[in-house]
Amino acid sequence: MLILTRKSGEGLFIGDNIRITILEIRGKQIRLGIEAPPNVVVLREEIYRRIQEENLQASGTRDVDVKEIAQLWRQE
Amino acid sequence: MAANLQTTSPDPAVFSVKTRNFGSIEVRSDQIIYLEPGLLGFTQYRRYVLIEHHQEAPFLWLQCLDKADLAFVVIDPQSLLPDYQPGALAQAKRDLAVECPEDLKVLVILTIPPGKPQEMTANLMGPVVINLKTRQGRQLIVEESQYSHKHRVFPG
Repeated sequence: MLILTRKSGEGLFIGDNIRITILEIRGKQIRLGIEAPPNVVVLREEIYRRIQEENLQASGTRDVDVKEIAQLWRQE
Repeated sequence: MAANLQTTSPDPAVFSVKTRNFGSIEVRSDQIIYLEPGLLGFTQYRRYVLIEHHQEAPFLWLQCLDKADLAFVVIDPQSLLPDYQPGALAQAKRDLAVECPEDLKVLVILTIPPGKPQEMTANLMGPVVINLKTRQGRQLIVEESQYSHKHRVFPG
């Protein structure tokens, strides 16, 4: 892992198109400003992991499961 | 672009694609949906088609064209929650350049625990939004507390 030290108001670039700025440091919290192209996904880590994990679980669906939910749906 | 697709039909716009659930399927190039970026966890796979489930139920398959065994079961969230209207949709419409409301397709991904279909959940935090006119789409991330990533579909 690359480790950099920055002060409030300083920033860094990731490639040509992604810029991260340290906006404010207050106690244990820092505020970051992120500028990135629209096709780059920027998310808090816990949100990213939740959606990624849900996608992984959903990707395992088999045709037989869908036949069963279709049957359940018609019964509801 | 279509390196893994084999053209078997005389019409060059029709491709034959292998899938896990449906065997070989024929796909017209104007049916391909491009998710840019792809779904989180699968961002490298971008080309999909929507396949209707054959039985009388509102489920669709979102089948990846770049990976035969990658497919998701999806549903129009209106079938689950008629008032599903996350705030992020407005920005998504602008990002996808949706001109008419009917061009916007919103789908939520379903997770079915193996052998426990009754416990199926819908991911209301990560809907897939598609501009049907341009066939460009993306997975939207909804951070509103009333929309769960594990919304129970059938009563417990």
